[in-house]
Amino acid sequence: MITEIAWKNVWRNKSRSLIVITAVAIGVFAGVFSIAAMNSSIVQRIDAAVNEELSHIQINNKDFRSSSDIQNIIRDYPSLITVLDSTPGVINTTGRIVIRGIASTASKSTGVEINGIDVEKEKRIFTLKDKLIPGTGSFFGAPTKFNSVFVGEKLAKELNIIRYTLTQDAFLKLESEGIPSAVITKLESLRDQKFPTDKKFSVAVENILASSEKNKFIYKIKEAAWSYREGSKIILSFLDINNNQTGAAFRVCGIFRTNNDMFESLSVFVPVNELRSLTGMTEGSYHRVIAKLENNDLTDKITPTLRESLPGFEVLSWKEIQPDLAMLADMMQQIYGIFMGIILAALAFGIVNTMLMAVLERTREIGMLAAIGMNRRKIFSMIMLESVFLSIVGGIIGMIISGAVIASTAKHGINLVKYSEGMEAIGYSAHLFPTIGVQFFITTTILIVLTGILSSIYPARKALKLNPVEAIRGE
Amino acid sequence: MAVVQINNVYKAYHDTEVEVKAINGVTLSFEKGDFAVVVGPSGSGKTTLLNLIGGLDQPTGGEILVAGHRLSELRPSELIDFRMEHVGFVFQSYNLIPVLTAAENVSFIMNLQKWPKEKRKVRTDELLSSVGLSDRHNSRPSQLSGGQQQRVAVARALATHPEFILADEPTANLDSKSAESLLDIMEKLNHEEQMTFIFSTHDIRVMKRAHRVITLEDGKVISDELSF
Ligand SMILES: Nc1ncnc2c1ncn2[C@@H]1O[C@H](COP(=O)(O)OP(=O)(O)OP(=O)(O)O)[C@@H](O)[C@H]1O
Ligand SMILES: [Mg+2]
Repeated sequence: MITEIAWKNVWRNKSRSLIVITAVAIGVFAGVFSIAAMNSSIVQRIDAAVNEELSHIQINNKDFRSSSDIQNIIRDYPSLITVLDSTPGVINTTGRIVIRGIASTASKSTGVEINGIDVEKEKRIFTLKDKLIPGTGSFFGAPTKFNSVFVGEKLAKELNIIRYTLTQDAFLKLESEGIPSAVITKLESLRDQKFPTDKKFSVAVENILASSEKNKFIYKIKEAAWSYREGSKIILSFLDINNNQTGAAFRVCGIFRTNNDMFESLSVFVPVNELRSLTGMTEGSYHRVIAKLENNDLTDKITPTLRESLPGFEVLSWKEIQPDLAMLADMMQQIYGIFMGIILAALAFGIVNTMLMAVLERTREIGMLAAIGMNRRKIFSMIMLESVFLSIVGGIIGMIISGAVIASTAKHGINLVKYSEGMEAIGYSAHLFPTIGVQFFITTTILIVLTGILSSIYPARKALKLNPVEAIRGE
Repeated sequence: MAVVQINNVYKAYHDTEVEVKAINGVTLSFEKGDFAVVVGPSGSGKTTLLNLIGGLDQPTGGEILVAGHRLSELRPSELIDFRMEHVGFVFQSYNLIPVLTAAENVSFIMNLQKWPKEKRKVRTDELLSSVGLSDRHNSRPSQLSGGQQQRVAVARALATHPEFILADEPTANLDSKSAESLLDIMEKLNHEEQMTFIFSTHDIRVMKRAHRVITLEDGKVISDELSF
């Protein structure tokens, strides 16, 4: 009955209640949606880390991490695989040879981590093959007779494998993408000039375009002009099993593009057999075993189990390999809570104000209720429920709108390409796909109810202070 | 045994510079079935007296006993429950909960007393037809006339069979015809349900309908007469 009266009281002053409800709805929507957008980067970053770079769990020789000496191979690889295969939740495994080396071309050289991979098995664990820039090779296709390597775009640029030329094809592409003809005419002066670096090309474009045009179109222009020297080779040099300097030329059979510049410039992939024969490592020897789990939620559960059953190894989850990322994800959860809390605290003032008005204009009625025997607890609950209804109705509307907007943007995302360079340099996609966990919706609902309760305390206390005799007497 | 026993009761207000003795040594008792009116000039203490009897206010001296309860011994929270269980109130105005229908208002105290739904419904139907509003079950107070609202208030006050019903100037806001019919209903219920009514008025016509007339002046009872 109290609930019913409280609900009906909410609608006594419709416009006033609707204003508060709208404010709550807008506030909750703004909060939830911006959090979803922020969360998008984290989720995508974790996704990339797991699906492109690390997978869920990595197992190394105990000494491998402190010294990535080529000697620190995994002993008894087959029985390790047996343990993994019999662990529930582990769905795929693969072994890698991992050695430090130097990648060089005629013009540049840089330090890299060379991964010798089993191409077929890796395809089942990582999505890296989808990151291959079309037309740059077929590293994941049939094995080649020559040494082949799969490198990141960033490294390719550093090694000057990629250059920029505005060819006829490039101009056609720009036209078809709707670049204004004024811009295209200006670009004509660069036709067929070869620019060896991203930087030089950017400067050249900048010099002939107005800065607004440049900001708007540089991304598309670069894409169109992008080309790599087909059949490029890079030299990978490293130490073999006997610590002798060795190396070989590898043909670039694929360039991958991710959102993580660091990963793109540091990791190169070659078929494990090629690396094994060059280093003199024996058949079946690996430095690292990578395990993919059914889903990411199992990571924290399976990692310690494996660590226990594999005492001779170093077992690391992706969270331990990239603790900054895991910490960031945790920290973001707290930031979301604080952010939502601030919004709700601001809304609480609106609710308090409305409820105070509601109580003050009903002094006689509340006095009458106390006079005829409605006890303090019931009067308090009535006011509190009224306030909770205001917040929860607004909150639910806000969350429904957020849910709908998140769902509608989740497919195509929100493009922040303008800022892409800054974001991708640190491993984050410039394309946001707002996402939010169910957990967050539950937490938000609880916070909203709490807001309603807290903002009712002051008005409800005011109601309880009313002296029924005076309330009734007051003419 | 008396339903209400008032022994040498005083009520003084100190909140102005001079002390106001609103009730100045009143001794009275009300018997079951009384249909009593308290009259007197404005400021004579009628409202104060009714509030003291109803446990809405505490006397500064003397004692009031209602159905065996010594009111001065009850704590504020016990007083609220005491009112809910033993006293029916009809005020001059603002009696009803505006968001509830007539029927819901009548069953409000039955609800507070946790009566089962069926029993509530039977009693509500019975009372609404007693006060001549059986066709207005679902009307909101704002859809009822002042007289009809007061009748709903009487029905609510009566619903849980309190010891007595207190009504401070229940007809003050009514035209004489509505006042008459409210009095008719109160008298009928006094008769049918043996309900004790204690009310106050300024109106000489209302006064004439009472079976007992208590006259106050300056907080003192100056006459107490039966009048049939
Ligand atoms: N809260 C209060 N503080 C101070 N004085 C009060 C208070 N309530 C009532 N009084 C005084 O007590 C006296 C009795 O008031 P009361 O309201 O009981 O009279 P009444 O007979 O009901 O008058 P009316 O016919 O105008 O309703 C008056 O002098 C009034 O001013
Ligand atoms: Mg009065």
